[in-house]
Amino acid sequence: MSVPNEENLSHSQLSTHFFLDLLDSIIVDVASECHRVARLGLDSNLEEEDEELKLSAQARVRAADPSNTNEANGKYVVDIFGQTHPAVANEIFECMNCGRSIMAGRFAPHLEKCMGKGRKARLKVTRSSTAAQNRYSRGSPVSTYSNYSTNCMNRLANGSSIFAGDEHSNGTLES
Amino acid sequence: MKPKASVNRPPTPDVVENAPEREPTLQELINVKLIETGEKERLMELLRERLVDCGWKDEMKSLCRSVVKKKGRNNVTVDELVHVITPKGRASVPDSIKAELLQRIRTFLVSAAL
Repeated sequence: MSVPNEENLSHSQLSTHFFLDLLDSIIVDVASECHRVARLGLDSNLEEEDEELKLSAQARVRAADPSNTNEANGKYVVDIFGQTHPAVANEIFECMNCGRSIMAGRFAPHLEKCMGKGRKARLKVTRSSTAAQNRYSRGSPVSTYSNYSTNCMNRLANGSSIFAGDEHSNGTLES
Repeated sequence: MKPKASVNRPPTPDVVENAPEREPTLQELINVKLIETGEKERLMELLRERLVDCGWKDEMKSLCRSVVKKKGRNNVTVDELVHVITPKGRASVPDSIKAELLQRIRTFLVSAAL
């Protein structure tokens, strides 16, 4: 290992000098590029990010607000968009099975009765079959499915009505 | 009304001012040699590529963006950005990259027999 003499020293000094020279040029290039992007407004994300940050800060404030978080307070819970929703959905539309006007929040229990989980539903079949036939069909078992109904024989016109459980009938059945 | 100048361009030096008798320093000699052989360009490109790969450039860009956000888009000058970036930029170059470049420069110095 040679003793570092003057020449070696100035070699490494020189190297460092030139390295820093290169680095400075590159730094100026980067700064110039960013300056250009900023002035031309090319970095469109910049303002959007600010908006997002503000909105999320607002939402966080609202969420942290103790008067809002307790759902037992009743219907007036505010979500992050500032909307309130009533406890029971109140949009009204027509039941496709029986044709009645039903409230959205009451639709599921209505369907249960209307369509056959309960005792009364089965008796309803004979009466409402014509109303339901043409409009309603289920995804699973099937119009051309032959099956014997166990509980009762129903005289049906064309098409099939399928309700939960064992009421599959096809064509006309003479008892 | 002229808008505020954001790029500071130093005036072109007068040819008359350059004393032709001055002895060129070692640094100047080497610099000329670097440029003439194209080595300076190659070194620049190498350094640029390395700095992009290691994420240094992205760090500098995000620094710039924070300055722009603070000062407002139209109030930033190149000088401001350079002043903000230079200390951080010089300090945050990874050691391996620095070593590689220094090695190449030293090799050049030796081969240029200066």
